[in-house]
Amino acid sequence: MLSKIDKSSALFITAAVVFFWIGGLLTTLAPPLLDASWAKPVAGLKDHATLAKGGDAEAAMIMKGRAIYVREGCWYCHTQQTRTIEADTVRSGWRGVKSPVSTPDEFVYDQPHMFGTRRVGPDLSRVGGKYDHQWHVTHFRDPRSLVPGSVMPPFPWIIADPQEQEALIAYVQSLGRVKDWRPAQDYEQ
Amino acid sequence: MSASVAAPSPTHAGHEDRSAFGLLMIASLFFVVSGLVALIIAGKFHFPTLLGSVSWLTYGRLRPIHTNGMLFGWLLAADMALCFYLVPRLCGVKLWSEKLGMATMWIWVLIVLAAVVTLALGQNQGLEYAELVLWIDVLVVVAWVMFAVNVFATVFTRKYQQMYVSLWYIMASLLWTAFVYIVGNFGTMPTTGVNQANLNWFYVHNAVGLIFTPLGLAIGYYFIPKAAETPLYSHRLSMIGFWSLAFVYVWTGAHHMLHGPISQWLQTVAILFSIMLMIPVWTLVWNFFATMKGQWHQLKDNVPIKFLMTGTIFYLLTCFQGPMHSLRTVNAIVSKTDWIPGHAHMAVLGAFSFFAIGGAYYAIPRMIGAKLHSNQMANTTFWLWLVGGLTFFVSLWIGGFLQGLQWNDVTIPFIDTVKFMSPFWAARLLGGTLMFLGILLFFWNVLMTYVGRKERPAETA
Repeated sequence: MLSKIDKSSALFITAAVVFFWIGGLLTTLAPPLLDASWAKPVAGLKDHATLAKGGDAEAAMIMKGRAIYVREGCWYCHTQQTRTIEADTVRSGWRGVKSPVSTPDEFVYDQPHMFGTRRVGPDLSRVGGKYDHQWHVTHFRDPRSLVPGSVMPPFPWIIADPQEQEALIAYVQSLGRVKDWRPAQDYEQ
Repeated sequence: MSASVAAPSPTHAGHEDRSAFGLLMIASLFFVVSGLVALIIAGKFHFPTLLGSVSWLTYGRLRPIHTNGMLFGWLLAADMALCFYLVPRLCGVKLWSEKLGMATMWIWVLIVLAAVVTLALGQNQGLEYAELVLWIDVLVVVAWVMFAVNVFATVFTRKYQQMYVSLWYIMASLLWTAFVYIVGNFGTMPTTGVNQANLNWFYVHNAVGLIFTPLGLAIGYYFIPKAAETPLYSHRLSMIGFWSLAFVYVWTGAHHMLHGPISQWLQTVAILFSIMLMIPVWTLVWNFFATMKGQWHQLKDNVPIKFLMTGTIFYLLTCFQGPMHSLRTVNAIVSKTDWIPGHAHMAVLGAFSFFAIGGAYYAIPRMIGAKLHSNQMANTTFWLWLVGGLTFFVSLWIGGFLQGLQWNDVTIPFIDTVKFMSPFWAARLLGGTLMFLGILLFFWNVLMTYVGRKERPAETA
């Protein structure tokens, strides 16, 4: 068999595809079937895309803001996942309260997913409600005026467009809020 | 050890190499452009407002142009060009269709230009390496099918019955890539959340593992014995390496989500298979090194061999890091830090671009029947890339590792860990600048070889 396989292209092609497909299919199609939690939304999770289509103004705003977040590549420098690492829960926490870790049920409606891959800037999975509206306006206009040493670029064309500015801030303020982890609901507006 | 096998010698099949050389020229041009973009975005880490008032010159728009440009504009195009060169030679026949090859080249040009424009405009699908909008994805599929038809038709009409190992890797890559690309660019469309992220990471990981790895290794397997004029050490080792890669690589995508919101058992599966990856890697490296036994003196002045063997060492290092990052304890330190770009750049630029540049320096004179414009310049390219590359990779590893430790110490404010990275980013910029100079020399050398081809005909046609 092995001595023939490099002489017959048909035999070779079949073997190469079969070998690969064992793992290829098991790691792509099987996991969502085996783990139902991937598709089951946590209580209170809103499907903003569907709500926006139904005329919900707030949901439409968040979806518009999310599209800006995708367009500007914010996700290249900010992750949205509080991992199962102690330090992550502290850094995602606020005012002495640790944040819960991110779970699949919080992201059921995310398209595209924004888990991210690199933390040039801090993780944003629980950023919603940590800073107030004016803080974000100033920060998008000139990040270093609020955070000296930051390497985030300014976004003057978003600040120059009131609709885009409001939408992006609405999206950022919505992040990580579905798990109601803050005592006394002390969210900034 | 088992009997040594020689790579089949060139025949007088009358290779035209038009599409091979054309595509290689295009790839070198995109190499320059992607390198320039790389310098700009590396500079933004020190001057965040640099070119920052124009939306399409901001970091978030330029970064995907840089990554897609390097991966698909430079490396994949160069790999395809070298396939157009070596497949016909290993089959003892001409490329099945030069016309189809040239058409593939022009579609590739269209894809890259369209990618640059759409990404600059902010048309980004929001998935790593799958940023390009749908209509460009379709063009990529069309180009890939055209490329595959050409390669397979050449293989099916081959004169030599036995297929050399480079041909296995190329044929397999053509088939695997089709599945990987479709999952990553179309399979993500109807899916959301963690399910989509799993497919996305399957694609990102396998874009490197099952597109660039097999094509890069095919180039290594062909050009190392060729350039050193010595037979490949072991056919059996190459078989073990190939079939273990074919089985093991595809399982590992979820290691990009370790500690993240994805099922623990899937993380564990990814970790186990990541460690098994050492089997295909070490057998291959053993084979390449043993091939060079008694030939190491050639490293002194054989520039293609310098590139190819250094690429092999980078490949070994990259593929040692990979399984190590997959261990949960190590991952908790290095994940999401600059260590990872250090690792990724060593894979794409260190290992696979070294293979591609080495192959190109060997093949170009034979493609156009002229001596290389300047061997000295080729040698300088090597040293710029070796010194620049090491500066780049090592500074990001050290900085990233230390930053990871700092992140795990919650008494250190996040912004202090950002400021801490500044000198390491400066070293990255310096290393990147040296590499960019190397790219310019490479491009100039290729261009001048073509321009002056009549004045310097090769000694043996």
